[in-house]
Amino acid sequence: MKKKSKTFTAHQSKHPTQMRNAFALVALMLAWLVPATTFAVLGHGLSRLPTPVAAPDFTLEDMDGKSYTLSSLRGKVVMVNFWATWCPPCREEIPSMETVYQALRNEDFIVLAINQWESPDHVFSYMGQLDVYPNFPILFDRDSSVSVAFGVQGLPTTLLIDKQGRVVYRAMGGRNFNHPEVRALIQQMIDTADSESP
Amino acid sequence: MHYRIITACLLCPLLVHAGEVQREFNPQTGIERVQVEHPGFSLRLLPLASDYVAAVFSARGLPQDIVDATRAYCAFGTILKNTGQQPLHYRLTDWRYVTTDGKTHRLKTKTQWLEEWKDRSLAFRWILLHEEQTYQPGDWGQGFTTLPLPAGSQFDLYYSWTQGDKTYEEKIEDVHCAPVEAPDPDA
Repeated sequence: MKKKSKTFTAHQSKHPTQMRNAFALVALMLAWLVPATTFAVLGHGLSRLPTPVAAPDFTLEDMDGKSYTLSSLRGKVVMVNFWATWCPPCREEIPSMETVYQALRNEDFIVLAINQWESPDHVFSYMGQLDVYPNFPILFDRDSSVSVAFGVQGLPTTLLIDKQGRVVYRAMGGRNFNHPEVRALIQQMIDTADSESP
Repeated sequence: MHYRIITACLLCPLLVHAGEVQREFNPQTGIERVQVEHPGFSLRLLPLASDYVAAVFSARGLPQDIVDATRAYCAFGTILKNTGQQPLHYRLTDWRYVTTDGKTHRLKTKTQWLEEWKDRSLAFRWILLHEEQTYQPGDWGQGFTTLPLPAGSQFDLYYSWTQGDKTYEEKIEDVHCAPVEAPDPDA
């Protein structure tokens, strides 16, 4: 394989060793975050499961202690998103989820963003840093039991559940959910009668 | 003449699948990122300093002994992506890391970490890249991968994946673990 080298230019200054190491640590943190987003420009494709499968039921609380039970949302199309605050693509896809949620929330559609492992206090402070504040429910799966039940192996993972409570589409890794094709797909699921499959 | 054509045709699939390795070296941190794009599959490796890895796990609330244990490993932020039109399967346990002394090393997998730490390791579940997954077209994932090698180690990576009904193996030479500490600019 051919090799192609590119060297960063960097200003070099005389800092005490500790200060230099601290800068390097911060640079490393940013280095991990930045390429994760620039390397993987968000696509929009969702994979249809060969055969829709019944979604495992769950009841989880949001930041205000309000409970959400998946089976009680039967008759709605549900986008279930598994995420965490430290996950760069999770952060990147939130605005597109919010846009779709705002556009379709009055049409039998809901987004449930299920946080993994973290505390409501931590997530609350994180939300304050976002450019787009999500209005869809943020639920807490503190022991990851719900994500395990869904077979989730990495974050973010997003599922589209039809009106009959079946997982129909799946996406691993960040996506732009506000893409016209995704919106059309969700709209089609909404417009489909409860007993039909799109 | 026919021999040349046949040879060219036989080599064609290999050439088409060979990827170009791109490297980005940051003299301030001493870290070299590596990225390779194959038709249908891309891989990116970002060496992570042990201080950073320890800080990440400490921030997840893991006990100090677990945090300290991570310092003995060479860690990479690893991003894999299915850029093709067919399902892609990878198994990190098949990947080989050959150091300059000729020895072959294997990853310490997420499952091995979880088994070692059992009930205390839930946070690790999400930060480490799962060792075996199938990505549908457009799917991708990221996470830490860990090697039982000291900081600054150098190795050739032999990695493989299956796409459609074909299995591919490729090699990236001279991959470097993050150094113990950032280089001294005065040196």
